[in-house]
Amino acid sequence: MSQVFHEIEKKIISVLKTDSKLNPEKLEELTQLSPDQIRRGIEWLKLKNLAIVNEIQSVHYSLGNNGLESYQKGLPERRLLDLVRNGPVKISEIQQQLGSVFGPAMGLAKKNNWIETQGNEISLKNYPSVIPGEKTLKQIGEEKYSESQIDQNDLKILLQRPDFLVENIVKIKEISLSDNAKSLDITSSAQGAIDVEAKAPEVFVARTHPLRDTIDEIREIFVTLGFSEIYGNMTQPSFWNFDALFTPQDHPARELQDTFYLDGVSSKIIGTKEQIRNVSNSHKKGWRYYWDINEARKMVLRTHTTCVTIKHLAENKPEEARVFSLGPVFRNEKVSYKHLVEFNQIEGVVVGTNANLRNLMGIQREFYRRIGITKIKFWPTFFPYTEPSLQTMVYNERLGKWVELFGMGIFRPEVTKPLGINKPVLAWGGGIERIAMLKYGLDDVREFYNNNLTWLRGATKCR
Amino acid sequence: MPVVELSYSRLQKLVGRASKKQISESLPFLGLDIESEEKDLVRVEYSPNRPDYSTDFGISLGLQGLLGIKTGSYKLKIKKSNDYKISVNPSVSKIRPFVTGIIARNGKIDDKIIKQLMAMQEDLHFGIGRKRKKSSIGIHDLDKISFPLTYTTSNRNFKFVPLNSEKESTISEILQNTEVGQDYGSILGNSSKVPIILDSNGQTVSFPPIINAAITTVTTKTKNLFVEVTGINKDDAEDMLSVVATILQTAGFDLVSINIKGTKNTTPKLAERKIIVNPSLINESLGLDLKNSEIITSLKKSRLDATITKKGIICNIPAYRFDIFGPMDLVEEVALGYGIEKLTPLLSPSQTLGHVNPKSSKLKSTSLTLVGLGYLEALNSSLTSKKILYEMTNRKPENIISVLDSKSQEHTILRDSILPGLLENLSRNIHSQYPQKLFEVGTVFSKNNPVDEKIHLAVVCAHQDVHFTEVKSILQALMKTSFDLQVDTKTFSHETFEEGKTASIISEGKNIGVIGEINSKTIEGYKIRVPVVGFEINLSGLIFD
Repeated sequence: MSQVFHEIEKKIISVLKTDSKLNPEKLEELTQLSPDQIRRGIEWLKLKNLAIVNEIQSVHYSLGNNGLESYQKGLPERRLLDLVRNGPVKISEIQQQLGSVFGPAMGLAKKNNWIETQGNEISLKNYPSVIPGEKTLKQIGEEKYSESQIDQNDLKILLQRPDFLVENIVKIKEISLSDNAKSLDITSSAQGAIDVEAKAPEVFVARTHPLRDTIDEIREIFVTLGFSEIYGNMTQPSFWNFDALFTPQDHPARELQDTFYLDGVSSKIIGTKEQIRNVSNSHKKGWRYYWDINEARKMVLRTHTTCVTIKHLAENKPEEARVFSLGPVFRNEKVSYKHLVEFNQIEGVVVGTNANLRNLMGIQREFYRRIGITKIKFWPTFFPYTEPSLQTMVYNERLGKWVELFGMGIFRPEVTKPLGINKPVLAWGGGIERIAMLKYGLDDVREFYNNNLTWLRGATKCR
Repeated sequence: MPVVELSYSRLQKLVGRASKKQISESLPFLGLDIESEEKDLVRVEYSPNRPDYSTDFGISLGLQGLLGIKTGSYKLKIKKSNDYKISVNPSVSKIRPFVTGIIARNGKIDDKIIKQLMAMQEDLHFGIGRKRKKSSIGIHDLDKISFPLTYTTSNRNFKFVPLNSEKESTISEILQNTEVGQDYGSILGNSSKVPIILDSNGQTVSFPPIINAAITTVTTKTKNLFVEVTGINKDDAEDMLSVVATILQTAGFDLVSINIKGTKNTTPKLAERKIIVNPSLINESLGLDLKNSEIITSLKKSRLDATITKKGIICNIPAYRFDIFGPMDLVEEVALGYGIEKLTPLLSPSQTLGHVNPKSSKLKSTSLTLVGLGYLEALNSSLTSKKILYEMTNRKPENIISVLDSKSQEHTILRDSILPGLLENLSRNIHSQYPQKLFEVGTVFSKNNPVDEKIHLAVVCAHQDVHFTEVKSILQALMKTSFDLQVDTKTFSHETFEEGKTASIISEGKNIGVIGEINSKTIEGYKIRVPVVGFEINLSGLIFD
């Protein structure tokens, strides 16, 4: 593989070929590159195993307040000795001259036997040419030293004196070339070429949720098949979710184990007087029981979106219509790989010309064809509010078996008549997650709601 | 949907002249979904409106029709007799007023038949019996009973030996100590009297709707059966009886009638009903052009007899087909008999023009704006928990809307805010690469005669260097690009956000949300290791009604 280098890399390598160890600042100076360019260049070379970065820690000393005073005027003990060098001087005068450093100066001078006290005067005994610490203080003060030149004993003495020295820990990066790099010929590669074969860092796309994409796709298909979208609440009186759909009040499906009832919430207004009276009569006649309006007032989380379409039909009584409702529905079930408490459903109706079962099957077949499913068949089934009722079976190639998708049928007259709907109504609908699972090849429906970034960032958009 | 286990070899014997393959391929076209298959055994799901499909006897009647082996209505042959009488005591009228029944003689009972009968009984009790409340069945060994019987009441100290027991118990003990007593005792309420069926020797036959007496237990040695159905509605009780009678006759028993007398009670007729259907309704509903003779053939394949008259097609409905309410149900029977597989889909041009709801378009544009700003869409359930909604975000619960008896602890209350869910999403992704930028648009709920539903939008942004200004820029860009609206932010306090780094969001003089840096208590609670900023706004009232 021929290696291609960026201009920055080339400059750094050529400088390091001459000067084997350099810090980034020095590199900047020699290459005339910006600090950021140097940082990136070093990072690239490091990844390619061409540069070695050594981090070295070193201690740098500077003068503290007392250190600076001593550097300028001399160490306190030196100043004391200088005062008495030409004969005895009164203590009070020395005190006045030295001020706050008088104490430490006297202590050291006495301890080292450089002076003696006679009455109220001090006189010199010995005059040392070098005082411990003096040389190092000078070196540090002049800022001209390298670590090796410093006398460690001298340094120790200075460090013990209060506010003489300040320690600064400095981290230095030392860049050198690896053995591979030393033998590189960087002049041979083309001018301005970059390493197009190198891996680029990973970035992640911002996107709409994969399930939302499926929902949008399905919405679009039905719109192009002549359907219009209607909205309705997720919380509904039992009246529209069950009673209006001819589901008797003592039906097992209405019980707590399947339906989420809202705790202590019921609706005062559930429909017109006529709607309530007619639905009530339809139940009494068809199911032979006492129909209780309070049961119909109880608010539930809708168990299907059919409550939205039937209410729309009852309010508008269209002669000709294709409408659908799409959104979350709820079932009080244990969450598992195939069951969620909340999932999305699309449910639509056809009223008017050609509202017959074969046309309903045709709309379904066309929908599946557009989402890429061609192997389908229809089986009879049962829904409490449609008659006849069918379900679409779709062949899942991955699982090698037929799976059930959308259900469909013609609304029972027991549903439509009491609501004043006199035209036959075809209804169809089903869960969207099931289709999305086929689309994304998922076996666990919970994945859609886990919000796992690894999956969300990775799921393929076009399928 | 209920499930029944069938054996292909038994079905072949019952249906006659049908291969296993034919049967297996026909089952779905009776509306029976095959759940699993293993060699000779097949488990099928059947519709709750067809209790006759709870046994292989009932299913074989359907298969015979569909395969053309035996078509037309299956008729009950009930021999009239004066040997069997039940008199009803008026005391039952306030508790469980109706009793009906039938005698089934000269049958053979093996373990498999007992299993089928028990499955049927269970299905009838659960479905049309509404957990035995509306009506319930007892099946007894006829030869252990001496007629006439009395359907009457007893007090709760009354004693007899109940099924599956060897010693006498009082009614109260049965209700307290047995599983069936605990499950169904509530049907009887607090009344001091309970229904009871006694034979002519004063021996207890049954304590409906709870348990039979041990002495009448049906075994493989039983040859003759007594079936009783009790209930709160006469028609429902007779519907239930009609299914049992049909199945027992299919199983080879001879049916004999029982005379029933007493307050409002009469001998059951189990007779056919007539429903008239217009051929044009059938053809218009199905999109077919069937001749009357084809309709009759199709109905016969669905095991119904029909004749053509001037008024239309008159169809005779056997008593056990009480799922048939009216003409539209016959449309389905024609479709099934004709063969669903022969119905070819048609696609006629739509008479209407479809349109996307403006609400959907606006929501989509909003989402795409956020995607353009680098945000990823998350989806959380509207049904969540107090922990996520309040505890983890330090918010004070107010007017919570809870659901009753949720099977899942994570789904007990409706959300009133979107942001808590997004913060929980961040906590589940702390090992994924940062920056993490999420948004969600969804419905939130509040109590208001009865419930208000509003659409909220929330955004979170998490990375090492994130701060208030970054997310305020996002808010400004979103509002400008999506809605051409200016927003102001005013100092504010909120339990989830850091004091001094929180603001309310004002647009056109209205407070529409909150923005800020998430406080350290929330972030630490979620073990998120980077700072998080975010906002939540109410889109309802802003771009929707």
